[in-house]
Amino acid sequence: MIDRLRQDLGASGAAIVEEPQGGYRVTPPSIASLGRAVAVVRAWKLPLRVRGSGDAPGNARGVLLDVGSLDRIASVDGGTGIVRVEAGCNVAALEAAARRAGATLGPLLPSVRAGSVGAWLAGPTRGERGVPGARRETAALSVTAVLADGRLAESRAAPRSATGPDLDHLALGGGGRLCVVAAAWIRLFPVSPALAASWTFRSLPTAVAALEKLCLERSAPARARIVGSGDGARLAMAWEGLETAPMERDRSARILSALGALAESDRGANYWLREPSSGDAVEVDARWASLRGWSQQGELQFFGMHAGGAFATLALPDARGAEEAAALARAAGARVIAPRRMRDAGPGWEAMGAGAVWRRLVEALGVEEAP
Amino acid sequence: MTGPLPAATARGKSLLSALEQSGIAASCDPADLWAASRDCWPRALLWTKAGLSPHPPEVVAWPRDPEQVAAVIRLAVERQTCVVPMGSGSGVCGGSIPVRGGIALDLKKLAAPLRIDLPSRTVEVAAGMIGARLEELLQEKGATLGHFPSSIRSATVGGWLATRSAAQLSTRYGKIEDLVIALEAVDGTGQVLRTLDGPSAGPDLTQLLVGSEGTLAVITSARLRIWPRPSRQWLRGVRFPSLQHGFRALRAVMRSGLRPSFARLNDPLDTLLAGKSAPAVPQPLKWVAFGAQAEALRLALRAPSILNRLVDALPRSSLLVFGFEGDLEDDLAEEGDAALALCEAEEGENLGSAPAERFLETRYQPQFQQAKLFAAGAFADTLEVATTWDRLDALLLAVRHAVAGLALVRAHFSHVYLEGCAVEFSLVGLAGQSFEDAASGSRDDAELDLEEGEARYDACWKAALSAAADAGATLSHHHGVGLARQILMPREHGEGMRQLRALKQAFDPHGVLNPGKLLL
Repeated sequence: MIDRLRQDLGASGAAIVEEPQGGYRVTPPSIASLGRAVAVVRAWKLPLRVRGSGDAPGNARGVLLDVGSLDRIASVDGGTGIVRVEAGCNVAALEAAARRAGATLGPLLPSVRAGSVGAWLAGPTRGERGVPGARRETAALSVTAVLADGRLAESRAAPRSATGPDLDHLALGGGGRLCVVAAAWIRLFPVSPALAASWTFRSLPTAVAALEKLCLERSAPARARIVGSGDGARLAMAWEGLETAPMERDRSARILSALGALAESDRGANYWLREPSSGDAVEVDARWASLRGWSQQGELQFFGMHAGGAFATLALPDARGAEEAAALARAAGARVIAPRRMRDAGPGWEAMGAGAVWRRLVEALGVEEAP
Repeated sequence: MTGPLPAATARGKSLLSALEQSGIAASCDPADLWAASRDCWPRALLWTKAGLSPHPPEVVAWPRDPEQVAAVIRLAVERQTCVVPMGSGSGVCGGSIPVRGGIALDLKKLAAPLRIDLPSRTVEVAAGMIGARLEELLQEKGATLGHFPSSIRSATVGGWLATRSAAQLSTRYGKIEDLVIALEAVDGTGQVLRTLDGPSAGPDLTQLLVGSEGTLAVITSARLRIWPRPSRQWLRGVRFPSLQHGFRALRAVMRSGLRPSFARLNDPLDTLLAGKSAPAVPQPLKWVAFGAQAEALRLALRAPSILNRLVDALPRSSLLVFGFEGDLEDDLAEEGDAALALCEAEEGENLGSAPAERFLETRYQPQFQQAKLFAAGAFADTLEVATTWDRLDALLLAVRHAVAGLALVRAHFSHVYLEGCAVEFSLVGLAGQSFEDAASGSRDDAELDLEEGEARYDACWKAALSAAADAGATLSHHHGVGLARQILMPREHGEGMRQLRALKQAFDPHGVLNPGKLLL
C-alpha cells in the first residue's frame, strides 16, 4: 500500500520525502502539481497538513504539503491596490514587493509577517486587517483554492459581491481542512508616512480602555503599543492615510484629553511603536473586555483594531514567560493564536450548533480522513 | 390587474391543518397565496400585466420564533415539500418566489425583543423587522445602523442578510456583511445555529450564511454593529469633464484615507437630468427617463440603438455628489475640503452643496418610475455589478456595446472601495403592450405579449450579464442572485459551484430550503 501511495504521490510531480516520525512531506513545484497531490491525499483519505497553514491537525501521520515552492508574485498593481500571489510566498517578501510599487499590506501580527500568504489566509486571523472606520475585513480580494479532486475554485476579484455565500470563507481560517489555498488576489493600502503620538495613563487597563474608546468613536489607529507597570502606562499610536493621518491624530488627541490622558512629546513615538516586544510574547484575537482585563502590567501591541476588539501581542515583564501570558489571556477570555504550540483550538462549529453540518460538509467536499 | 387568484390545493389545505395544529399561524387564502407568490423582480411585472401569478405557494406560514421556524422545516421534510423564506418581498431578483410551491415562510412576525446596546455598539434584532422601523428605533436612542438601501421602507433585516445588501452610505459603514457580528438561523434539518460574537476557530460560519438567499438556513435574528448617529453633514456636487476624470478623483479620495459617507458619480445622461441642463436633454431620452408619454416612449424604445447614440452625443461631463458625516463642523470641513482639493486636481468644478442635497431628497424616488415604464409597455431593470478600478472602463464599454441594440443604458457609480466600485446599469427596453391595452385585450393576446416581452427582457438581461462577466465583474454587488442571475452562476463561480453544492448538502440534506435558487 505504501509503495502504491508513493507512486500516486510521485505521479503528481511533487518531490516526496518520508518523514522520520512517519508520513510524507510533499513539495509540489506548481499549482497544477499541488492540485494533483491534494487529489491523491484525499483519495487515500489521509490526514493532510499544509505547512504554515494554521489549524490543520498536528499529528505526524498522513501528508505534510509544503507549498514553499509556490512563491511567485504574479503581478503588483499599486495604482489599483491589488497583488496576485501564490500561497507559499512569504508575507515579508510580499510586503517588500508591494513597497516597490508604492503600496503596503499594512500593519500585521509578527507571526503573520513571518509566515506565508497561505498561512495568513488559512490561519486563525483569516487574513483579516483593520480598515478605516474601526472595521476589519479580509485582505483577500479573491482566493484560489484546491478542492478534494485537485480542481481549482477561484472567486471573482471584486471588492464585494452578492452571488450567494462567500465561498472564500471555506478557505479563510480553515487551516487547509476543507480546501487548500493555492493563490490569492490580496488588497493593498497605498504607502503613506505614519504619524505617531503618545500619551500616559494611570494604569494599563485605563490605557486599553482609552484605545477601545477611540475605536468606538471610529478613530482606530493603524497600530498601537501600550507598556504598563505599577506606575502607569504609556500608549503610542500611529495613523496612516495620505490626507487623514493628521486629522485622525488630532481627533484622537481630543478624545484622549477628555479622558484625562497626558500627551507626551511625539518625538521617538514612531520608533518606540515598532520596537519588538521586550518579553516573550503571545498573540491573541480578543475582545476589548479581555484585553482590558488581561493584566495590570505588561506590554501589548495592537493590530487590526475594530469596535469589537483587536489582534494583539501580549508580553509580561520581568522575564515571566509566554506560558503565563497565555494563561492570563485565556482567563480573560481571549483566544491565543500564536505561537503555534500554544494555539487554542477555540470554539468551532460544534459550539454554534453546527457540528452535524460540519461533518456533512466534510463528507460532501470529499475531505474525510480515515481514523 | 392580478388576474384570477390562485386557489388552495388539497396538499395546501393539509399543510395548513398541520401548521395550525402546531400553533403556527398559516393561511391558504387566495389573496395570501398571491401576495406570497411574488417579489419586486421587474421581470415578474410582465406576468402581472398578463394577469398571471405562475408560482404561488401552497400555504403561507407566519412563525413567531425560531422554534416555530424549525417546526415548519421539519414538517416540510416529513411531507416532502419545500420552504421558501420571505421577508417583505422587496427583493428584485425573484429570490423568494416559490418556483416549486410549498410553504412560504413569512418571517415578519418573528418577535424577538430588540436589544440596543450603544456603549458596545451593538443591536440584536429579529430577522422580520422592517429596516426603516429598526432605524427609527435606533435613532430614538441616538444611534444608527448606517444602512439605508432604497428598500429600507419595506425590506426586512433578514432579507438584507440573505442577499448581502448594500446601501447608500456603504462607503462609510460597509455592506450588511460588514455590519453583522453574529446571527441565529435554522438549517434544513430544523437545527438552530447560533454563530459567535467573538473569536472563533475555523471558517467563519456567519459569512457562509449571509448571502445564502434562504437555501442553506433561515435567518431568524442577528447582532449588528451600530454607531452613534452623526448630527451633521457636509455635502458637495462636483462636475468633471468626463467620467474618467471622475473615476480618478474617486480613486484618489479613497487612496487618501478619506471615507465619504456616500459618493455617487453619474454618467452624462444622468448628469444632465440631475442638473439645470435637463431642458438640453433630447425629448426621446426624457420620455424614457421619466416614463412619460407612453405611446411616444414605446416608439422611442423601438430604436434603442438610436437612443444610445443620442446619449453618446451628449456633453461628456459627469456629476459627482458626495458627502461626509460627523458631529463637528470643523472636522467635516477639513475632510470635505481635502476631498474637494483632490476633485479639483482632476478638473472638477465645485457646484456647492445643492446637487448633493437634491440627490439625498430624491434618492428613493427612482424606484417609483419603474411602474410608469411597465405600465407604458416597457421593461426596466438595474444590473449592479462590481469590479476593480483597472477594469472599470472596459466594463462600461462592454455592457453598453452588448446592450446598445436592445435597451437604453444608463449608469452610475457608487459603493466605492479602495480597490474599485460598484456600477449600476439601468436598462430600459420595449416589452410590448401597455398595461391598459393588455387589460382590454384577449387572453391569447396577453399570453403572446408576455412571451414576446419575456424574450426581449431575457435577451437584454443575458447580453448585459454576459458582457459584465466577460469583463471580469462580479454578477451582483448587492441585489443578490435569485432567479434573475442564476443562469450565470457557473460563470461566476466555476468549480466553486461544487463547493456551493457541498454547502447545500451539509446545511439542507433534504433539499427543502428554497429549492431551485442559486442553481441548488
